[in-house]
Amino acid sequence: MKMPKPMDESYKLFIDGKWVNGKEGKTFKSFCPSNGELLAVCAEAGKEDVDKAVKAAWKAFETWKDVSPQERSGLLLKIADLIDANKEKLAMVETLDNGKPIRETMNVDVPLASDHFRYFAGVIRAEEGQAVMIDKDTLSIILREPIGVVGQIIPWNFPLLMAAWKIAPALAAGDTVVIKPSSATPLSLLEMAKLFEKVLPPGVVNVITGAGSTTGQYLLDHPDLRKLAFTGSTEVGYSIADAAAKKLIPATLELGGKSANIYFPDCPWKKAIEGVLMGILFNQGQVCCAGSRVFLHEDIYDKFLKETIAEFKKVKVGLPWEKDTTMGSQVNDAQLKKILAYVEVAKKEGATVACGGVKMTGKGTESGCFMTPSILSDVKAKMRVAQEEIFGPVVCFIKFKEEAEVIRMANDSEYGLGGAVWTKDINRAFRVARAIETGRMWVNNYNNLPAHAPFGGYKKSGIGRETHKMMLEHYTQKKNIFISLSEEKVGFY
Amino acid sequence: MGNKGKIVMITLQTNVEDIVNDYPQAITYGIENGVSFVFCVGAFPTSLGDLLRIKKFADPNAFVKGLNEYLIKNPEK
Repeated sequence: MKMPKPMDESYKLFIDGKWVNGKEGKTFKSFCPSNGELLAVCAEAGKEDVDKAVKAAWKAFETWKDVSPQERSGLLLKIADLIDANKEKLAMVETLDNGKPIRETMNVDVPLASDHFRYFAGVIRAEEGQAVMIDKDTLSIILREPIGVVGQIIPWNFPLLMAAWKIAPALAAGDTVVIKPSSATPLSLLEMAKLFEKVLPPGVVNVITGAGSTTGQYLLDHPDLRKLAFTGSTEVGYSIADAAAKKLIPATLELGGKSANIYFPDCPWKKAIEGVLMGILFNQGQVCCAGSRVFLHEDIYDKFLKETIAEFKKVKVGLPWEKDTTMGSQVNDAQLKKILAYVEVAKKEGATVACGGVKMTGKGTESGCFMTPSILSDVKAKMRVAQEEIFGPVVCFIKFKEEAEVIRMANDSEYGLGGAVWTKDINRAFRVARAIETGRMWVNNYNNLPAHAPFGGYKKSGIGRETHKMMLEHYTQKKNIFISLSEEKVGFY
Repeated sequence: MGNKGKIVMITLQTNVEDIVNDYPQAITYGIENGVSFVFCVGAFPTSLGDLLRIKKFADPNAFVKGLNEYLIKNPEK
């Protein structure tokens, strides 16, 4: 099947409801990682453009903050409907720009993105303040108020969905937004901005594109933001936290992970093996909560490994726009180089490449950044490949004997984002899930990320949460109105 | 693009994005020596010195010296 090309040849910046060229006239190119073809040329936002976007967002905030929840909810629902109506196009743009298979963008990225807007449209209709009588003459009212203009930076692994995770709760809360996608995958958000243009007042959402070192840094350095929100790596997370601290504003950070996927002998066998694939091959392993450390009880290690290898070998790696492809391309050559370098590190450390471990060749993948689904066996918990985020379809198999031992090994990580435990013993499932130091633990499933379950990290995996109605707390501030209902003098002076 | 005809001289002040763009083979050196230059938002957006500081490198200068030597020995194919 020939590669479709549903995107525009070029994109401008979306500022104040208008599509504008960058002031400096600079551009960058977005390529398809599956075959190296040029997809589109995008404007690079300079310092003045970022400033213009922040000013537009403030101007829009003056009226957006007072739009009623009913009306805001209605607008979010319209956005959701437009995303659904443009599902095929958005899915294909994402597939081509990112390399992820069309079956994922059609069934996960796009539907979850529209559902996010729908979820927050519902949440704000049910939101209420609080009131309490402090004593018989004193009333305390607590109201949520929007923060103002939020600067948001999102990664390349789920460009459309991460944009929805960021934008939907911010708009629901009454904030306005300046958002920057990764320069590796700007196109789906730019396409979504065309939908915003049809629904939202000018300036409520502003999309700026460009490199992290220029556009991203200008946004971080801008003095007029009231909050930063970032999804990305722990290393870059330090820079975001630093920028927020210098401005004395809050930041929510959803960062890296090295999640433990723990298997006991009584696991639901077939589903459990599928859980390894769900954990590490979904999105080509480019998932911050990927189940990249598989801990297997010694009683099932050999059989489980053998059967998982067989399943990995059945995975169809191929051109992501073809419907029967189950694993697509890594996002770019740099990421592929990183993954392959980690395989070499694993070998030097004494791990065994049980399957894969090399770049995919043949079957039309010659010009792309395709990796084979890979299992590293004989891995010890202290090895670098079991501690560092590879961010690819490479899973480490680690043997354990006792429950306490696997909890200790799973927690021996600077990260604390996700993980799973597979067992039919409900007591053990609950015990282990509670003991693992992460923000999310799945039991007998993996990589489910619905809008109404909170997601975020312990330890170096982040600050704050994404998804769930608790996001409104991150995007609002509390106003306390403290009322004396008495006209009598206090009598203190 | 590669680095044909360029004199390799990376310093702690060099932007990591520039390193990745001009010398993609540096990614392999980085991983071999304990640091990734690329992440899920793209290449690290500030200097190599900043990145090595975050990663708590004991001897950043030795890392840079080794990187320059590696790039001379391993020009991008």
